[in-house]
Amino acid sequence: MKYTYDYSLLPGSVTTLAPVIPVTFINGKYNFDTFALVDSGADSGLISTVIADALHIDWNKLKRETGYTTSGEFYYRTFKNLETEIEFNPFMIDINIVEGVAPFKCILGRNDLFLKAEITFRGFANQFDIEFRKFN
Amino acid sequence: MGIDFTKLLKGYGKGWVAVSSDYKKVLGHAKTLDVLMKRVESKKGKQKVYYFPSGESYSNFVG
Repeated sequence: MKYTYDYSLLPGSVTTLAPVIPVTFINGKYNFDTFALVDSGADSGLISTVIADALHIDWNKLKRETGYTTSGEFYYRTFKNLETEIEFNPFMIDINIVEGVAPFKCILGRNDLFLKAEITFRGFANQFDIEFRKFN
Repeated sequence: MGIDFTKLLKGYGKGWVAVSSDYKKVLGHAKTLDVLMKRVESKKGKQKVYYFPSGESYSNFVG
């Protein structure tokens, strides 16, 4: 099934339109519902350590690695097989947990959401489509 | 239009908000997520509540 979303309006010195979707993360008996930026430029998705804490993920015990942005380095830890749900479509992803990340505390990228769904950005219409792949 | 966070988050300082399942109302705000969740989770029942940071600026974000 294909879902069409309008871009969301985000605050700042200049109002920003961005592709944002509601997402649920599940870690055992702990659920966390938030909104994620859909980012085709992000190699992998991320959540902040604050969200990881809400999911009772003991992220401090995971191996710390170095990642890169256009402006420098950051440290992250990877949590494997996090149960994720968007519009009742469940799937598992590996998610990076990053300290002090801002402004978005949750981003989904190419190695997670984009492997599970066909995503089309239609910036001229301020809309994007997500069509989840069917897995047997 | 998608979710209008400019309207939703207006007047809320740095911290987190709890957003209703129809994305139209803020159900609570706190400076930290754990404090907010403690307040909201006991009252929400079966209703879905979305948590989102407030007081952030999203202008000129390069991801």
